[in-house]
Amino acid sequence: MNKPKTITQVAIILGFALIIALIVNSVNPKGISILDDGERYDKDVKEKSLKDVTPNVNDTTNNNKPKTLDKPANISKEGFVKPQFIALDLAKSFFGQGALFIDARLKVQYDSGHVKGSINLPYQEFAAKSKEEKLEILKKYNKEGTIVCYCSGGECEVSIDLAYEIAKIGFNYVNIYRGGYKEWENGGNPVEK
Amino acid sequence: MKFLENKFIIVILRLVIGGLFIYASWGKLMNPEDFGRAIRGYDILPLGSISFLSVLLPFVEFISGLFLILGIFKRGSSFIIIAMLLAFLIGLTQAYARGLSIDCGCFSLSASSENTQGGYYLLVRIIQDVLMMVAAIVIYNFERKNLNNIISN
Repeated sequence: MNKPKTITQVAIILGFALIIALIVNSVNPKGISILDDGERYDKDVKEKSLKDVTPNVNDTTNNNKPKTLDKPANISKEGFVKPQFIALDLAKSFFGQGALFIDARLKVQYDSGHVKGSINLPYQEFAAKSKEEKLEILKKYNKEGTIVCYCSGGECEVSIDLAYEIAKIGFNYVNIYRGGYKEWENGGNPVEK
Repeated sequence: MKFLENKFIIVILRLVIGGLFIYASWGKLMNPEDFGRAIRGYDILPLGSISFLSVLLPFVEFISGLFLILGIFKRGSSFIIIAMLLAFLIGLTQAYARGLSIDCGCFSLSASSENTQGGYYLLVRIIQDVLMMVAAIVIYNFERKNLNNIISN
């Protein structure tokens, strides 16, 4: 009997793997969209800094709301406002104006030091909750208020993932501080343990 | 190296390599998000390809490992394994050369992107990869020759 050529075997195995992978992914509760463009992880996207934001000098008219980034330009396909990357200077400015800082790292990391006044929402735990549960956790915060998500800095991505989770449930001014805890602490900014 | 043409050696190699691939795929099959994060860490593939690969690759690993053990499509499965190991080798080597600190995504996945390693650790992974690739090439060659000799396999 003629055995199939190697290339035929390869094609059959790959086809078989693809079909099973797609089926399993569609029933897997942790399945993902295979068409995800991954754009939010792009390290080359420039962070917004103080000079990119129109400073609202007449602060009394908007209830001392922290400076925020232009909203209409950043609507995602799904209809939520995309989180923005911000640099240290803007993170500091937001901090000074009372923005909510959210630490996306695990509790042990949060406990060993975090941005002063920040709350801890470990990404994996938060992402596993239903939309109602997520809203319940954040119910005391204003959806128009400025939020800054961060993780360790460097290569960590959980701040991005968490920021998108929060933006998807309707928070309109979510920012990602990519420098993270490392840069914040090294810069001598307020921390607590 | 005559002993590499011994059928029993080949069977053992098939069981070991197939087993390693099934083991490697196990933690990733149901965790495309974590695996995707590991792939992104290598910083070499286009961002748009990663979610697709993170869903597909673990199943290619699993099925080619399984086929290698069961003796189904031995040439095809060993060929795919060689190709995957070559791709991993390129990824690991460039990460090592650039001094990146990454989550290998080889045999296990860390639950966050906080657990990365570089330097010496990557060198060990590179050596493992090369050893597995040699074994897979031996299997592939044996199965191909056997086919030409019309010995039943």
